[in-house]
Amino acid sequence: MDRVNTLLDRFLGPVNGPIEPARSMPFWIGFLLVLIGLVILPHYLSRYELLNFNNILSNIFLAMGLCLIWGFAGILSLGQAVFLGLGGYAYGIVGINLIETHGNTWLALAAGLSFPVFVAAALGWLMFYGRLTGVYVAILMLVVAMLIETFLNQTAGEQWFIGQAHLGGNNGLGRFSGVMRKPPSLTLGFGDALLVFKGSSLAFYYLVCGLGVVIYLGLRALINSGFGHVLVAIREDPERTEALGYDIRLIQLLVFCLAAFLAALSGVLYVSWGNFITPNVFGVFYNILPIIWVAVAGRRSLTCSVIGCVALVWLSQWLALQGDIAFVALGAILVAVMLLMPEGILIGVGERIGRLFVRLGIGRSSTGPGDG
Amino acid sequence: MDAFTAISSFLYQYADIVSILILSAVGLIIIFGMMGIINMAHGEMMMIGAYVTSFSYYAGVPTPLAVLLGGLAAALVGMILERLVVRRFYGQLLSSLVVTWGVSLILSQGALLAFGSLVRSVPTPFGSFAVGELSFSVYRVFLFLAGVAILLAVWALFRFTRFGLEARATMQDATMAHALGIDTARIYARVFGLGTGLAGLAGGLLALTSTIGPYYGQAYTTQAFITVVVGGGAELVSGLLASALSLGAVRTIATNQFNILLGQMAMLVFAFVVIRLMPDGISGWIARRRLRSGRR
Repeated sequence: MDRVNTLLDRFLGPVNGPIEPARSMPFWIGFLLVLIGLVILPHYLSRYELLNFNNILSNIFLAMGLCLIWGFAGILSLGQAVFLGLGGYAYGIVGINLIETHGNTWLALAAGLSFPVFVAAALGWLMFYGRLTGVYVAILMLVVAMLIETFLNQTAGEQWFIGQAHLGGNNGLGRFSGVMRKPPSLTLGFGDALLVFKGSSLAFYYLVCGLGVVIYLGLRALINSGFGHVLVAIREDPERTEALGYDIRLIQLLVFCLAAFLAALSGVLYVSWGNFITPNVFGVFYNILPIIWVAVAGRRSLTCSVIGCVALVWLSQWLALQGDIAFVALGAILVAVMLLMPEGILIGVGERIGRLFVRLGIGRSSTGPGDG
Repeated sequence: MDAFTAISSFLYQYADIVSILILSAVGLIIIFGMMGIINMAHGEMMMIGAYVTSFSYYAGVPTPLAVLLGGLAAALVGMILERLVVRRFYGQLLSSLVVTWGVSLILSQGALLAFGSLVRSVPTPFGSFAVGELSFSVYRVFLFLAGVAILLAVWALFRFTRFGLEARATMQDATMAHALGIDTARIYARVFGLGTGLAGLAGGLLALTSTIGPYYGQAYTTQAFITVVVGGGAELVSGLLASALSLGAVRTIATNQFNILLGQMAMLVFAFVVIRLMPDGISGWIARRRLRSGRR
């Protein structure tokens, strides 16, 4: 028993702290199995299924970002898709303009990932340094999202060209590409050695999976570090954390920018996947979806957020095939889970399984002081 | 266009925008001020008010009564919502935001499934009047008066009735009020019902000027949120009034100078400036001033 725990601590120490609930031996065995499964899975998928799965997977960064700020730092943003949308638009606009001359999309990628972070820094400075509390931040982000949507919806006219990229109003960037040009897929490499990550390609799949695993483990290491503990401290008691000498405004700003970066990554992948983006990504539905994934699965766990994202995107696609009930059903799931298991389904069920394992004598308790 | 016509046109636009801001935000700000909760299903309460107004109008009910029925229906839905859902989330502000957003999704999408994407709209009453070569809708002027009347009624309700006294006590210190024998749970339920009822009433009133569909209310929620953020929750009536008047001025000027979109953007920028200077909104600032002068 103790030997297992020593082993866990030695190899997984940096990523296996008390703040993330999923950290028992059975979990890590399951994690390895999932990794192996992810490597071999695409060989059993049809081209269409792979295309669809790529779309689903590209959302997990948005989910992890929201989990980070809401679940760990206690900052709820109802407009997190703003950064997904800005990242997608920035990537698309720069990509359309430079793909011919450069042949690759490195600059577009850089623009797509950095522009939303600048916007997040500006908004975050206004909000956190203005000492805004939870409800205000949540609402203002939604208002920002709605206004960007309104703005982009009226950009159908001829004057709305940025270089060769036409903003296209509510048709979006490159949706109807008769004359206009579509945003390119991610094209990375040097010189002539280029790899194009088309939405239906294996390359895209392994790129997203690889990024997903690296960022997941990286974020686990981050929340397991001193910084992560300060985040949780801010969530639990901002005044006391400040009294202990931490500049909570700066820390909130930093984590807000990091979440924006993750959302932007999802946005870049989304545009690269489908070669289009419309103002819809700033609308109510795109903004409420990540909230539903994270709240339903368990907002205080990165693992749950990722699982919730994949499962619920898949579910909503399946529901959409059944008729118009998709959003009613998702809303009902959200409300039901909030009422019955306020911490999320996976946390609720996971705690029960964890207790069972403890009773059987394997692994350690999966509840800890950080679970709150 | 002579100066008089230009000025009356500007005043008319200003009054129109201010009345929309007051009407669409009054229900939201009452709930926010009392409980700190932002009711994300606010737009759907306005939608319910508009739907009931339309249905009763075409069932033969006279227009004023139809609008009142809309308000009553939304109040009823709000009370039920409070009892079933919102009550479990007092003290958890972020969770209450998320759960009411879920409710909003169910209501708007449910309305889409049940009634389709458009409901028959109700004709605008009263006709129009002319100043110089411009013609104005009488109903828009009526809306402004209705907004002011609703504000006065809310103020009187909180100022002069026993319910208002108990509500203000609960707002100041819920634990103390409870200890003094006030049934705070009932106060919360009634305030929530009052807030959603006013949203429904506003929905009914504004429905007479526009098309009605499942997302009808959402068109007003963005500006309602901004109005509440600028107003703050410390002083309901004066905060809302100051917020609507200042935002209305910003928006009217920006709309006249540029266009409707920049008018909305200007409101957002103004909101950011206000919260940077007065983090609790205008009403927090008023409340602090009042406290200070009271101490002197």
